[in-house]
Amino acid sequence: MTQQENLRERLKRLIIESLNLEGMTPEMIEDEAPLFGEGLGLDSVDALELVVALEKEFSCRIEGEETTREAFASVSAMASFVDSLNGSTLSQA
Amino acid sequence: MKVVITGVGAVSGFGWGVEELCRGLESGATSIRTPSVFDVEGQRTTLAAEVGPPDADAQMEIDHLRNLSRADIFAVIAAREALVRAGLEGGGPRTGVFCGGSTAGMAECEDFVGRIVGVRPGKPMLKLLASQQLNGPGDAVARDIGACGPVVGFSSACASGAMALGAALQAVRSGEVDVALAGGADSLCLLTYSGFNALRSVDPGACQPFRKDRQGLSLGEGAGMLVLESLDQAVARGAEPLAELAGYGASCDAHHMTAPHPEGDGALAAMQAALKDAGLEGIDIDAVNAHGTGTAHNDQSESCALRRLLGDRSPEVPLTAPKGALGHVLGAAGALEAVASVVALERGAVFPTAGSAPADSDLHIDLVLENPRQLPPTSQTWISTNFAFGGANAALVVRRLV
Repeated sequence: MTQQENLRERLKRLIIESLNLEGMTPEMIEDEAPLFGEGLGLDSVDALELVVALEKEFSCRIEGEETTREAFASVSAMASFVDSLNGSTLSQA
Repeated sequence: MKVVITGVGAVSGFGWGVEELCRGLESGATSIRTPSVFDVEGQRTTLAAEVGPPDADAQMEIDHLRNLSRADIFAVIAAREALVRAGLEGGGPRTGVFCGGSTAGMAECEDFVGRIVGVRPGKPMLKLLASQQLNGPGDAVARDIGACGPVVGFSSACASGAMALGAALQAVRSGEVDVALAGGADSLCLLTYSGFNALRSVDPGACQPFRKDRQGLSLGEGAGMLVLESLDQAVARGAEPLAELAGYGASCDAHHMTAPHPEGDGALAAMQAALKDAGLEGIDIDAVNAHGTGTAHNDQSESCALRRLLGDRSPEVPLTAPKGALGHVLGAAGALEAVASVVALERGAVFPTAGSAPADSDLHIDLVLENPRQLPPTSQTWISTNFAFGGANAALVVRRLV
């Protein structure tokens, strides 16, 4: 598994665990599928939960509506967002 | 304008649906048992009328409802059932939601706090806080059915559900809405469970309304939702009205924080106001759906008010108290009991009051026990009452359409 694949797998597990999506496995979430509305069908309460989970997991702060919308569009977008955080933060996480 | 009930939906200790409610009430059995939603050890009672797990079909429906509290889910499922029964597909700009309740997502908030302090398993997920507001169940219904008219929450303790129906009745009459989804929803939570236990208002066994040895109420949970619209509209769209919601009245004892007025002054005023609203009098009442909590005070005060309303007829007017079977569903009680009255009217029978002890003969009422009692075909008018903490009283007059 590449580093990117590892990160995506980790994010999928984070989504499932933090939202308590019973019966769901990482394989069932597509990298490019929208997380909200269509696709996984999450709502704004889930978004709040995901922001908190991601901030905790990667010791970062997620500010601004635009950033949040972009960062949580899909698993791929989440991975790009995490990549854009500085390296030292990531290596600690 | 005649306002009619064209749909009913219910979630109760007997299960998910009006049919389950009806079968349960007809049987004379109680749905009060040991609850599983939280630990009840050490309380004065360890019983409640908990809503059990749904069947597979209902569970599928519920699985699609994300991030809702238990009370929200009860309200949504009952509203969907009421809409289907009414033959309506959904809401719209002229549909309003009027929903009573007393604790909304309190049970989920308790869970959240319990997880934070480590006395409940699991992570303190934010969604547990999402529906703590009292307007939660009504809002959830509006979103679910797409009701874009007024959406209003009512919280007047145990009279909430009846008051929501009263407001809906007025909104249909005034033309504010064409269709009203009205009722109430509440779920069991530690706040009310421990509160009523601490007040010693609960019977250690299943509650026994209007019985000699009654010791208090039993709590319950669930929802009742009704579709209201004008008779003209119902007829025009080919719907079959189940009953007429003929009158509503409310009052306050202004007397005590929890105890009712001993002679039932406020209860009498609410019932008289509801009858006046319906253009009827005490003599017209054929059956009573009583508040009947099973506390010494309520049942005494309520029967006193009924004697004052019905006069010499009091010992002959059949009376049922659904709380023996459903427990006290607090903010949903008036709504669930209104649904019970509608289905009883349809069957032309009064359901029995669950419980095994003999009726309290000092109360001079005709308490229906053990089996449903068939009413003569001429009988058509029920009064359904709710008398709450704070002295808030509400009464509804429901009539069979002839």
